[in-house]
Amino acid sequence: MWGNLVPASFLNYIIALAAIFSLNFVLPRLMPGDPFHAIYGDEALVAMTPEMEAEIIRQFSLDKSWWDQLSAYVMGLLQGDLGFSYYYREQVLQVIMGALPWTLLLTGLALIIATAIGIILGIESGYMRGSFLDRGLVACLMFLGGFPDFFIGILLLLIFAVSLNVLPLCGATSPYARYVGLAYLFDILKHLALPLASMVLVQIGSIFLLTRNTIVTLLGESFILTARAKGCTEARIKYAHAGRNSLLPVTTATGLRIPQLLTGALFIEIVFSYPGVGSLLNTAISARDYPLIQGILLMVTLTVLSANFLVDLLYMRLDPRVRHAH
Amino acid sequence: MHIDPLGEISHDPLARIGLIMLSAVTLMAIFAPLLSDYSPHDYTGKIFSPPSMDHLLGTDSMGQDIWARLLWGARTSLLVALAVALLSSALSVLVGASAALIGGLYERFCMRVADAMISLPTIIVMILVAAYLRPSLPLLIVLISAFSWPGGARIVRSLVLSLKERMHINAAQTFGAGKGHIVCTHIIPELSPIIFALMMQDARRAVFMEAGLAFLGVSDPAVISWGKMMHQALAFTYLDVWQWWLVPTGLALSATLVAISFLSFSLETAMDPRMRKEDVARLG
Repeated sequence: MWGNLVPASFLNYIIALAAIFSLNFVLPRLMPGDPFHAIYGDEALVAMTPEMEAEIIRQFSLDKSWWDQLSAYVMGLLQGDLGFSYYYREQVLQVIMGALPWTLLLTGLALIIATAIGIILGIESGYMRGSFLDRGLVACLMFLGGFPDFFIGILLLLIFAVSLNVLPLCGATSPYARYVGLAYLFDILKHLALPLASMVLVQIGSIFLLTRNTIVTLLGESFILTARAKGCTEARIKYAHAGRNSLLPVTTATGLRIPQLLTGALFIEIVFSYPGVGSLLNTAISARDYPLIQGILLMVTLTVLSANFLVDLLYMRLDPRVRHAH
Repeated sequence: MHIDPLGEISHDPLARIGLIMLSAVTLMAIFAPLLSDYSPHDYTGKIFSPPSMDHLLGTDSMGQDIWARLLWGARTSLLVALAVALLSSALSVLVGASAALIGGLYERFCMRVADAMISLPTIIVMILVAAYLRPSLPLLIVLISAFSWPGGARIVRSLVLSLKERMHINAAQTFGAGKGHIVCTHIIPELSPIIFALMMQDARRAVFMEAGLAFLGVSDPAVISWGKMMHQALAFTYLDVWQWWLVPTGLALSATLVAISFLSFSLETAMDPRMRKEDVARLG
């Protein structure tokens, strides 16, 4: 009964998460010197008072055996304690939670827009295979898809924000503007336009190509012939027959590309100084705030795995064969 | 799959464009000392000088010749690409083929590990590891390879699984061929187009990851890298220097990535029997 609701890949997610936990635990302790120095790094120690040091050492049992450290680490995780960010002087979890909504907004919108445009263009292009439009689209989108996402972001930034000066250069809202209501929403959208556009431009290519190629192979199948024989309209064949079936591989591929999508968003955020997890990561790297980097890794992994899980559920909804197979 | 992938793609315009672009970057990398009068590490005495006959792309904030750094950056990118392509595809074949041939618990273990790794945000894991280890170039190559084999291992495994049930392998077994002989003469040659495609994907990912990590500021300070050049140049977008510092570097990186993508797309299309069948039907 429950087997129908939990995808088989669930075990993989548990293993992946366990791997990240172990990496976060083991990596700093493999470094030379005592674990406290390795976890927090030399730069952090300058900023810390002896009381803070003593508190952290006591809390994570850093002066005790590996076994005690492990149990303290697991206990901390269970209570949602990812450590202390010396740079922001705040709990790591809180710092990340402040940034995560912006990243999710950017990534979610980019995913929806890129998938919608990619599928529609892919269906049309696959249907007109070999035509001038098809060839043009394939060449153009492949070319764009080959670009590294952060460079597309940089190009848009240079064109629209630096040279033309029509869109804001950085941030997610205008500082000190105190907009309310619609003006606030408009301000957010204006700041979102460039990062979003760069992500969509990079993501569209692979969705488009996959849809197009699936449509090309599907059009040779006999159920399309049957649909034609029944007298279905071209639009119905295109979208309801071939299009619907092309959703399955696209869904699978989207699930597999979620890690790249999210890491792409982090790079784009850095280019536009968008206040999401990416900018946080940038700060954490340059300040060598190791607990924060670890926390970001953990939260991003959690986000990726939950998104994958949702995609698996969606796949089961889309494909009745999988739903009824059990 | 008895096709000659190199023969197939040599007629594809997409592959030709990719090949030309990649050759151009390779030539830049090989003849870097001849193409520039300056060493990429030298201080030229002028900061932010615009392009001139002396400095083709001007100089950067450290007074270093940008054209020279661009050329040497190509060396880093291509070296990482080649090394990761070899190492990572070797790992893919080793794990994938051994899993398929040995089977049992070992196979399940390998594929579980591969699946779990595929679902991880690889680049962030690498950032964490790199932030701690501050890797040199060889270590970076090992690191990227260690994270890019799983996808390939899955593909190789499923191919070997289907290969080992084929008639000609059965026939070889009835004639008393050993496991090693079958692997060397029947399985590896059949795998070669796939291995080639995997190497392309690995190379592309490696170029991207090396640049991406350097762009984030996690890289060996002694290594000249396009990613690091972009990282430095991004801080100066309020000056005009981006026109000859940021944009050419980004274009060089993009050209390399696009070239590898074109080659690898063309190769994959040539190997996909369904896409081929359609072409034949259209011609006939």
